[in-house]
Amino acid sequence: MGRLRLVVAGIDDTVPAVRRLVLAAPQGGELPSYTPGSHLVLDVPAGAGRERALANAYSLVGEGLHPSRYEIAVLLCDPHGGAAGGSAWVHTLRTGDPVTAMPPRSSFAPVQAATRHLLVAAGIGITPLVSHLRFHARWGREAELLYLHRAGRGALLDEVAELTGGVASPFHDRADLLSRLRERLLDQPIGTHLYTCGPTGFMDLVVSEAQEAGWPASRIHLEHFGLDDLDPGEPFDVTVGERRFEVASGVSLLEAMEQQGYAVPNLCRQGVCGECRLDLGPATTGVWHRDLYLTDDDKAAGDCAMACVSRALPAADGRSHLEVSL
Amino acid sequence: MTGTATESAPHPPHYTSVPDWSREPLVQPVDPLGRVHTVIEVVDGDRVATRAVVAGWLAALAGAQVRHHTCEDTSAAVAALEDDLVAARVGHRVLVAGSADACLAVRAAGVRAGLADDEMGFGVVSVATRTVWCVHCSAATVAELALDDVVACSGCTRNLLVYPHVSRRTGQHLGFMVDAEEA
Ligand code: FES
Repeated sequence: MGRLRLVVAGIDDTVPAVRRLVLAAPQGGELPSYTPGSHLVLDVPAGAGRERALANAYSLVGEGLHPSRYEIAVLLCDPHGGAAGGSAWVHTLRTGDPVTAMPPRSSFAPVQAATRHLLVAAGIGITPLVSHLRFHARWGREAELLYLHRAGRGALLDEVAELTGGVASPFHDRADLLSRLRERLLDQPIGTHLYTCGPTGFMDLVVSEAQEAGWPASRIHLEHFGLDDLDPGEPFDVTVGERRFEVASGVSLLEAMEQQGYAVPNLCRQGVCGECRLDLGPATTGVWHRDLYLTDDDKAAGDCAMACVSRALPAADGRSHLEVSL
Repeated sequence: MTGTATESAPHPPHYTSVPDWSREPLVQPVDPLGRVHTVIEVVDGDRVATRAVVAGWLAALAGAQVRHHTCEDTSAAVAALEDDLVAARVGHRVLVAGSADACLAVRAAGVRAGLADDEMGFGVVSVATRTVWCVHCSAATVAELALDDVVACSGCTRNLLVYPHVSRRTGQHLGFMVDAEEA
């Protein structure tokens, strides 16, 4: 996997607990382009309380055409509260520090055919949507933003004000945002797509409001990172060669394989880095991919899966099975 | 993880541009999640069967906001749909009953107006007739045809193979000369 070698070129800690980090090539110059809503996966070294190396995904703030810098906004998640320590590490970086990353990957792009975009963000979930807003502003696309954040904790407020002409005044109260959202969901022309990013509970609310207003699934798009966001899923069984074992609900294939003594390479354990990719054999009944790494074509082929997040889907007879070929 | 809210559904193994309901007559159910429903009845084929399909839908939609149009032919149906969609809001659903040929043409108008596949449903009463678009002269030929049949192009008289591909934006089947290689 080709890593990008970057250095920290700028830090902005103005908003409490939200660090804006600018990364650039060590000698300057152009970085790989990316589509709006893409994320960057940073390598997080072991040490300072981290037992092993990690990889964490962060949404890019920019728009992505011929960039000379990558900018991310990282919310500090408390390792004592169960976070793996990636964001805490980002908050210790200093200007000039080297950082390696995988090139940006797209997972939450604006729908090209859409005639209008309704964006609904909460907290740090504003990051990929600012990237969308920049793109829409550049191409003159119609976009509307509803943004919820705690008073005094809003990230990227200057960009939001600039890109929405100041009309998207943020909400500090969830109930206020929801009542405005209900109104706006009823009044979007055909061709509008909805994008939401924020904590899982928030996005669930947005999705259920949209469904309530008659929005079909194909117009609703959401983005979230993190293992605890994922549905525990149903149990399924796995064969690796002659061995057969079960993966219980709430346990990942990666964890189950580790318990069985297999060493599966991994970094992020949340479906973003690509390290834990496994080849699957034809006895596989179906794959619920859930990763942000494989392309749509890879997923449609159904012959590989990411051990950290993917699970088996049942066949018509109800059996759920993955045949792993190591 | 990311994607549309339907992400948990597995991909169909082989995608094809020819909908099942244009291979054999099928009636899709109403979508009770819709807020407003346009129901289009295209009566240039089997009127009785078409009426029965629409009656079933209207019963299932009792109490919902419904705009029912009875249209004499495909172009009237397309006009009725386009008219309804001008001021329509997301939450709108469209149901079309009639021949597969009419349904494909009306679906194409819906696609051009920005409707998604999960906002349209079809009730097909016959699949005998197909419209074939000639890749050589761009004429459209309408005839009683099965997929993979051969038909003389109404524009250039070339013998066209009715290829199993339907354009989403026109609703027409792709047709090209059978012996193109030897010609
Ligand atoms: S460990 Fe990173 S994708 Fe699975």
